[in-house]
Amino acid sequence: MSQPQPLIQLPQTAERAPSAGELRFWLDKAVCWGQADGPDARKDASLHLSRLKDFLQQVLTHINNMSSTAETLKRLPLLGQFLGRLCWNPYVTADATGRRLLLQCLWGLYSEHPGNAVERTANQWIRVLCQLATEEDDAQALMKKMDIPPKDYHLEVLRKVSAFFFSALINSVIMLTYTRVVLLPSFQMVALLQKSIGKSCSCLGDTNQRCACDNILATSEACVPLVTCPEAAPLISALLQQQVTCVRAALSEDFLDAVSSAYSSRCLSLEEQAVVSLWCHNLPSLEEAVLRLLDCALTYSGPIPQKQLEQSLLPKACAQHCSIFLVVNDIFRSILKQADGTECVKYFVGAFTGCFLREVALQQHQTSVSLKAMFPQSPQSLLLPLLTRPTEMPQQAWRRHLIWLSSSLQRLTQEEEHGDDNSSRSGRFHTVFEAWFLLVQCSHWVQVAVQLLVTSEPEDCAPLLWLLTFYHHPTNRGHHRALQLVRGKEAWDHLHSLFSVLDPPLPIDLLQSLVTLLSPQPQPPPLSPLLTLNLFVNFAVFLQQSLSASTEIVQMVLDRCGLVDGARWVLSSLQIRMNQGDCLSSDTERVHLRIRALQNTLTHMHVASSPAKE
Amino acid sequence: MEAVLKNVAGTAELLAVASLSGEVERWEEPTVSRAFQWARYCEHLCRRFHDNPAIRRVIEKQLRVTNHGLRAAFAGYGDVSFSDLYRCQHLLLVGLLKNPQLPISVMKILFDAEQSEYQEVTGYCSRIIQCKSACKVLSPLADSSAVGADAEVQAEMLMERLGALLSRGGEARHILDSVPQGFEGAAGHFCVVIAAALLMKKNSSQDFLLDWLQKEQSVLEQMCSSLPSALIIELTKKQPKFRDAFCDLLKKWASDMEYSLSEGEWIQTRRNPTVSFDRLTEHFLGLFETCPSVRVDVEEELNALKMSDGDFDVRGLSVWGDLLSVFNKSV
Repeated sequence: MSQPQPLIQLPQTAERAPSAGELRFWLDKAVCWGQADGPDARKDASLHLSRLKDFLQQVLTHINNMSSTAETLKRLPLLGQFLGRLCWNPYVTADATGRRLLLQCLWGLYSEHPGNAVERTANQWIRVLCQLATEEDDAQALMKKMDIPPKDYHLEVLRKVSAFFFSALINSVIMLTYTRVVLLPSFQMVALLQKSIGKSCSCLGDTNQRCACDNILATSEACVPLVTCPEAAPLISALLQQQVTCVRAALSEDFLDAVSSAYSSRCLSLEEQAVVSLWCHNLPSLEEAVLRLLDCALTYSGPIPQKQLEQSLLPKACAQHCSIFLVVNDIFRSILKQADGTECVKYFVGAFTGCFLREVALQQHQTSVSLKAMFPQSPQSLLLPLLTRPTEMPQQAWRRHLIWLSSSLQRLTQEEEHGDDNSSRSGRFHTVFEAWFLLVQCSHWVQVAVQLLVTSEPEDCAPLLWLLTFYHHPTNRGHHRALQLVRGKEAWDHLHSLFSVLDPPLPIDLLQSLVTLLSPQPQPPPLSPLLTLNLFVNFAVFLQQSLSASTEIVQMVLDRCGLVDGARWVLSSLQIRMNQGDCLSSDTERVHLRIRALQNTLTHMHVASSPAKE
Repeated sequence: MEAVLKNVAGTAELLAVASLSGEVERWEEPTVSRAFQWARYCEHLCRRFHDNPAIRRVIEKQLRVTNHGLRAAFAGYGDVSFSDLYRCQHLLLVGLLKNPQLPISVMKILFDAEQSEYQEVTGYCSRIIQCKSACKVLSPLADSSAVGADAEVQAEMLMERLGALLSRGGEARHILDSVPQGFEGAAGHFCVVIAAALLMKKNSSQDFLLDWLQKEQSVLEQMCSSLPSALIIELTKKQPKFRDAFCDLLKKWASDMEYSLSEGEWIQTRRNPTVSFDRLTEHFLGLFETCPSVRVDVEEELNALKMSDGDFDVRGLSVWGDLLSVFNKSV
């Protein structure tokens, strides 16, 4: 009975062809599942599902690599039987991937131009299988008498069965609040609730007592192949939202993994609360969601719009569950540490946190979580000052506030650098990092600092510039900070002079110095060009100078240093902040106009420069 | 009306072409899509007119004409009736799949397992398989219902249909009458459905169903012999009419019994399927337990019958006496 191993090495693929032994194993399994119908067989089928799918993928690749069906069946004669039996296994056919792979295997075995009896038989057999898939059973014969189409009938049954589970689950929750009943997705479920028996789980802490939660685990296991079935979505949502009050009311890991991958590949749509519950139960799905959102933000052509942040449901989830927020922040921390804080990521973290804080403000019913619980690692003295939004403070107080912030942070960094040997170095570094991280989360204050710098006197710049420099360069590697501050002041001086010029010819040397600061250098310059760019754009927008003069300066500078995209980015983010009311301005209309005009200029510049780039 | 008739005729032709002609070899996705759209439209027409006997008759007449023509054109043609059109999409699908000339490309479209919209042709079969499989996966676990979810759904649908017909003063008997015909294999299933229907929340159609049951003794007998005792007890608790009918049936079964000397037991000779004496007493006792008032009446009646039989206390002479002695022992 031993078959020779296929000798063909599949090119460029790590998958090897399925062996006859493996096929025998799976065929025996399929036979077993088909014959037995008890809970053990069902459980076995469920547990083996993902490995079976991997095997089917192998088979499919193998079929596609063979030159003809006759050859495939010669090497694996039991293949037909195996596939046929799987067609009758509801666990395989209910699952979207399983069904897809199975059908693709069948199509793979179909020969367009059958060359011999084997292939003709195979074709015939495949057609018969397809007919049988839609065959009638007793129930359908009855439905026929009542003029009800089979598809509607099956859907109804599925809804009813799902609804039964739904009601059973609802009853094993200790406290069913009124709001949850009202928010039930389907009226059928509400109707069935009345039918259900009041079984509530009252075995808090007493693990010996039997409770109704035992069936939750079984149900979740049974639903593994159904995660891609739209009618089962309410049931899956209900399972996810089960209150975890009982030790035994756990959801199967397989179930959580299946739901997670179905949701991320958009095969399953869940209600908001179900998604949040999924994230609570299953860490990898939460991580994936965060990384996906970040990826989205990084590939977006401008600063990520608030709407997109909200639609991801992450800020809301964080507001509802402090634990989720902590995990998300940990992910942000590690990304920032690795990427050394690219501008986009920093902006994203700030925008996300802003969105999160808005969601927290909306959560009126929940027990209020303290700031300390939400930001446990941040220096406590800085929490409230940084989290307070500029809009919550009179504008005249902004400068003073920023000066205070700046000096607090300076003190922290000085402690880190000059700390004595008794205190641990890494501990102090940790404090500085956390302070910086909090600043990144509350980057609205950094932007206010930039804006205030535009209207500052030369003597008042120092603390604001320090803050800005710290934001862009949190670590004082190689003790560059002193030099950075000097460069920063230089930049400010240049800008201040440039934008104060009243007569047409702009001083070339000033322009050139500015361009030098903005241009990419062979060696990384001590001061980030993005800092200078940000300052530059803010000067153009907020300084009380004629628009045409500002536009001319912008054009000339960006022509030479090429940071058009970066400038557009800054303008977009300014616009977002204006819309949120975070900008200091007595004349918002005028500012909006200036931003738009500058955006226009930049668009034309971009268009003009594109052909040259090709 | 002209247009409607033309469309109905056209759909019948479509079904014939789909299942019997080689034309389908040239069919591609847009054609198949259109075909299913036609079928859907036809189903919609049916639902609109099924309560309108006049229009229904006109349509049926048209179908007769069309059938005649198609029978001549296609060997192996099966007539299409008005009630077939309710399931037009399904007929189309079955016809297509049975047609050996159907190109594999069309089959692949129908069975496409990627995400598919509910009404689209792509993945039509895949969705059916998905639903069926999902039902099979979940049904074993949904064990609270004594009759099973599918029976419950069918019962609901049946009651709905009856209710709709009755409220319009229409004839509803034909639905129930037509079911046992040509349905022999699944007669047991039908009994479960009726049980489910009677266990539903109280509605008006149930009275109709009960009246029908009393007239159709054969169905009632089938129910009482094939359904599990627990289910029957549930029914007697919920439906007084059923309880009375059941009681009468038990008495009738008893009266058909003869004592067999060789076996030393009462048996039924003229019936099929047969009920044993033990089972009969089980039924009675179960009934008494749930409805104690019935016991008094039944015992009184049986006593009278026993006396008319001669009032013997010897086993084997009167079925009534033997029943009563079993009842007395169980007190």
